[in-house]
Amino acid sequence: MASEDEISLLVIVVDVNPIWWGQHAQREPEFTLSKCLDAVMVMANSHLVMTRSNKLAIIASHCQESHFLYPSKHWKAGDVTGDDASSGSGDGKYELLSVANDLIAEEIRNLMARTQVKGHQTDTLLAGSLAKALCYIHRISKELDAGQDMKSRILVVKAAEDCALQYMNFMNVIFAAQKQNVLIDACVLDSDSGLLQQACDITGGLYLRIPQKTALVQYLLWVFLPDADQRSQLVLPPPVHVDYRAACFCHRNLIEIGYVCSVCLSIFCNFSPICTTCETAFKIPLPQMMKPKKKKLKAAN
Amino acid sequence: MAALSEEVLLVVKRVRQRKQDGTLYLMTERIAWGPEGKDRFTVSHLYADIRCQKISPDGKAKIQLQLVLHTGESTTFHFANESTALKDRDAAKDLLQQLLPKFKKKANKELEEKNRMLQEDPVLFQLYKDLVVSQVISAEEFWASRLKLNSVDHALSNNNKQEVGISAAFLADIRPQTDGCNGLKYNLTSDIIESIFRTYPAVKQKYAENVPHNLTEKEFWTRFFQSHYFHRDRINTGQQDIFSECAKQDEKVSHLSCVKNPMVDLMSLEDKTLDEGYGSLTALPNSSKTVKENSNSAIIKRFNHHSAMVLAAGLRKVEASSDQASETSSTDGNSRDSDFFQPPIKKVKLQEAIEYEDLQNESGPKTIALNLKKSDRYSHGPVPLQSHHYSTSQDIINSVSCIQEEISCYKPCLTRVMSSSAASSAITALSPGGVLMQAGAQQTISQLVSTDVQSELKHLYTAAGELLRHFWSCFPVNTPFLEEKVVKMQSNLERFQSTKLHPFQEKIQREYLSTNLTNHVEEMIQAAYNKFHAWQTRRMLRKT
Repeated sequence: MASEDEISLLVIVVDVNPIWWGQHAQREPEFTLSKCLDAVMVMANSHLVMTRSNKLAIIASHCQESHFLYPSKHWKAGDVTGDDASSGSGDGKYELLSVANDLIAEEIRNLMARTQVKGHQTDTLLAGSLAKALCYIHRISKELDAGQDMKSRILVVKAAEDCALQYMNFMNVIFAAQKQNVLIDACVLDSDSGLLQQACDITGGLYLRIPQKTALVQYLLWVFLPDADQRSQLVLPPPVHVDYRAACFCHRNLIEIGYVCSVCLSIFCNFSPICTTCETAFKIPLPQMMKPKKKKLKAAN
Repeated sequence: MAALSEEVLLVVKRVRQRKQDGTLYLMTERIAWGPEGKDRFTVSHLYADIRCQKISPDGKAKIQLQLVLHTGESTTFHFANESTALKDRDAAKDLLQQLLPKFKKKANKELEEKNRMLQEDPVLFQLYKDLVVSQVISAEEFWASRLKLNSVDHALSNNNKQEVGISAAFLADIRPQTDGCNGLKYNLTSDIIESIFRTYPAVKQKYAENVPHNLTEKEFWTRFFQSHYFHRDRINTGQQDIFSECAKQDEKVSHLSCVKNPMVDLMSLEDKTLDEGYGSLTALPNSSKTVKENSNSAIIKRFNHHSAMVLAAGLRKVEASSDQASETSSTDGNSRDSDFFQPPIKKVKLQEAIEYEDLQNESGPKTIALNLKKSDRYSHGPVPLQSHHYSTSQDIINSVSCIQEEISCYKPCLTRVMSSSAASSAITALSPGGVLMQAGAQQTISQLVSTDVQSELKHLYTAAGELLRHFWSCFPVNTPFLEEKVVKMQSNLERFQSTKLHPFQEKIQREYLSTNLTNHVEEMIQAAYNKFHAWQTRRMLRKT
């Protein structure tokens, strides 16, 4: 029965940081943002085709905003006839897919067209995009009919490096996702991201750093297309060892054993009598000097 | 003769055992019997071994005493002295009754304790099997450290055990049997007697007063059952009844004293449905009752009193000392209702009704505010400071314009996303054994090794841990006792290694090729050996 199918919602968050992609295009011209978007589109189509009740959302994570590429506010599902004249793709594709693809392309074009260069905003707003994804998931789950189940997951395709300033927001998003039983998967194109490793570990998703960018779509379809339930039946790359060490507040070194201020809980690698964060004074009692015991001389008989 | 060193508590002559005349001796720790004319004892039993004693019923011609041992055997002594046989037998029986309980507890307790500990803790049981049954260490060493710990715990828990209450039907359980013609036979056991004493302390008092001075036990109980105190209708209490006082005492204690809350008025409760008038007609409570109602109310009163006494008996044991105080205070509180002596519960109830906690002023504990100077430190994640890739603004402008150009003419071309060679190399990387799948092989060691090997390994670890704990607790070696223990533990470890560890290693080597399951245990034992050798050499040096 169609109404008893479990709905599976996939939200794809694509990192379209124009600065990183622009620099990358000069380094490796064979894999460009267009190819990346093509791969993501194939993945999205495959997801929609797997089951009739699957739902999809795509968010572009820019350095100025997070924008929904699909579904768009300006598009309603019943508007197919209106678009038919302009987007007559004659290859007999499932209409939903062709409409979706066109929509995505249009949105990304608009997004890039309105990009304004600002020097200090060079980092991808990933935490914000994830928060938007969670909100979307929450909204859709509220709009379900009574008795319908929904399983949702987020797939992050990441290109640029981590931004340390987003750490708090990131962790909040991760814990919110964990509470909502939303998986976060990560497909990393370039450099390893500690934050995403933590996200995947905490929520139960998969983290993969791909060696070959040109085969991105193959990795996406092989590893990230199956559902959480189906993954237990498949042989997939094993989970990565996550480095959960804390960083000391003074040098930002990752430490295993350190000192923690009992008032403000800030972590230090060396002992100092005053905590620099909350200015509490600490005293360590010095070991008492033991009097050397006088050895009794045994009278030798 | 061994008897000379022990203190003899009782000697009974003319006691036959197995058709032989002899003398029975009761000593401090055992009971013994020797035949007439001989010096030694043929029969000797420690009190600890005796499970129970039995006596022959009163009517029989032979006056006998039987001892049943824990092992099941029994020994019978026949008291053959014509005049004093019964007295002798009873004297012996009484003495045994006093002595047996003392020894019973001591001997069994330890064994029971051990059994209980072994049964409750399967890990301990396994450890016991591994170490003691296979004779790596002796049973005494095993129990030496454990019994002390557990006896302390057990003593504490014993104090918190709940008392067994009294069944409310204990009087009904007596169940008189008709004895032929018009007589009733009541079977009283010590349990029932105890219940009666606990529920009716007045009867206990009477018992203490009258037995054994005025009445024998049997006579006391006969009078008890005859008295109308026990029977249903307590109307005729005029006769010379020792229990008439008890009846009077009972009536004094009113039922309402059980209810400690003076705000509850039991008398205003009526068992009436809404009759004519729907409750608007307030009829005065009719004080005159019919005869039938009177007798009913008497029975109901007795039932209530009986139940109240049973409940009170359950509480009485717990509040042994404060019992007197609370009873007197409750009765006093009802009789003297002055403001000075208000029972505390009434005060609490009034207080609760008057005040609301939420509406009071907040007077919480004073707190000190946290004063953070550099709070932005918290928001920086555990990302080590790396040298950022510095891009000039020209770079940024270039990149952005490049991308804008590219995307402005973007058209999805989904038929040529990937070349087949790229796809096949990706598949190879993702297949088992590929580049991305390497980490998986190392993580399945728990799946490679079967569960019984795993559990055997766990047992080995527990046993090794136990031995090593004993070993390391001997250091620093201060006393000669610890020296001996260290040497003994060293030999125990060696024995453990040869009898348990090596066979296990050989077994897994035969079955699995390259798994190193016992490395860590070997390391631990080796560390212990090193310490022992170091200590030994130091001791040699000190001696020379």
